Amino acid sequence: MTVRKQVFASIVLLLAGAAGGAMAQGVPEPMEPPRNFETSQEHYDFLFETHAGGTRHTYESVPKWEGLWSGGGNGSRGAFVQEGELVEGVLTPEYAAAFRMRLDLIEEHGEQAYDRLTACEPAGYPRFLMEPYVREFVNTPDQAWQLNDLANENRRIYIGQEHRNVDGTHFPLGDAVGFWADDMLIVHTVDVYPNDWFRGLPPTSNQFESVEIWRMENFANGDQRLVVNATFYDALSLAEPLTLTYTYRRRNDLENVGFRIRHWECDTNRNTYLTDDGQTQFLLPGDEGYFDVRGPRETPDLPADLPGQERNPIFDDRVR
Amino acid sequence: MRTVLIPASVLTFATLMASGVEAHHSFSMFDRAREEVVVGEVVRWGFNSPHVLLYLVDADGTQWGFEGAAPAAILGRDPGMNGFTLRPGDAITMVHCPLHDGRAGGAIGLVITGDGTVYNPSDGGCAASRRTEEWPGWIDMGFASRAEAEEALGIDSEEQDPD
Repeated sequence: MTVRKQVFASIVLLLAGAAGGAMAQGVPEPMEPPRNFETSQEHYDFLFETHAGGTRHTYESVPKWEGLWSGGGNGSRGAFVQEGELVEGVLTPEYAAAFRMRLDLIEEHGEQAYDRLTACEPAGYPRFLMEPYVREFVNTPDQAWQLNDLANENRRIYIGQEHRNVDGTHFPLGDAVGFWADDMLIVHTVDVYPNDWFRGLPPTSNQFESVEIWRMENFANGDQRLVVNATFYDALSLAEPLTLTYTYRRRNDLENVGFRIRHWECDTNRNTYLTDDGQTQFLLPGDEGYFDVRGPRETPDLPADLPGQERNPIFDDRVR
Repeated sequence: MRTVLIPASVLTFATLMASGVEAHHSFSMFDRAREEVVVGEVVRWGFNSPHVLLYLVDADGTQWGFEGAAPAAILGRDPGMNGFTLRPGDAITMVHCPLHDGRAGGAIGLVITGDGTVYNPSDGGCAASRRTEEWPGWIDMGFASRAEAEEALGIDSEEQDPD
């Protein structure tokens, strides 16, 4: 079988599995790459060459994924914990030990005692893929924008472009480039901060990279979902490349009740903080340091009695 | 590939997370084993992301502070809630999981409004939302906590809430 046929067969199997999974409301089984690649770059280059550089879409032809979406299931957790057992052989020994340390603390406190999002740190990648709440996906010929309600995280995928890093550092969501192969979006991500797979899951390292294949599915009953087949590379944290599936479902129900994504007000989280002993706590009105997130704006350079400075002019809901 | 056993509490946590009750911070400050009643008037219903906030003042004049799920989660529930569902001055009965440290606050479990509607703006911080059938009756019987109700009614809490 030629390489191109292998890829095509993989895609057919991926889509068949995805469709079957959708009918059963399950998460499609991840499709492993057609062969083992040493690096994510090698994997991405292989797909790029296989698809002859991809499809150059116009504004008219680029796949339309607008609307509200939220997570529809994924295989992330099961990759690390299955049926009550910690899966071994997925993480490198050092990262497996780190994850066991995290699990021990969860055992002690009943939950991961502190989440870095509490202090308004970004979720970052790959956690971005798994976070709940609401998303929008906007595709243009030159960029794909993936907008997440959570923490206002906006991921930009630069279509048909090379990676760039003029910043001299890594980033929460990394640097992502991609290309279209008909209606599939293939994405390569590098230069990512050390993050977490999710709260309660293992950490990743600053060597984390990935290749994702995105596609929208339309079902006979009108349902839609996005399926992502992602292969993750991280020589420091993963014993070998790991392939997982993520899905997102259309949320017409939210659109119908008038939901719109608002700015994630991390200010509302200023009353939640990390304690000296590594726990999470929050302040109530009257506590020292309490910040009234809905009260008047803090503008020490303006008169204290300046009218119209209440955030909520609809109700008089001043706290005591 | 080998596997090793992990503790039950980790599994409980994993179940919570898998069931879509994630928030962006830990719930470790709340005592999820306790569910208690507070009656009062709404001071503020803050319908903001990532957590709704509900402040109320009780008959003694104590102001309480609670947090719940994200607006997108609450809008889609039955009955749905939005930023106008609760207004300052509304009389409500609140079931919550209190803060471990005893301050006047906690995680929202259920909110029962004056017309008897039971709302569930709960996040993963309080599982009282699993007892939407039981709680109105327990409140009518005068119980102020889940423990009190279960003891009086001879309910085995472990059977009712295996988590």
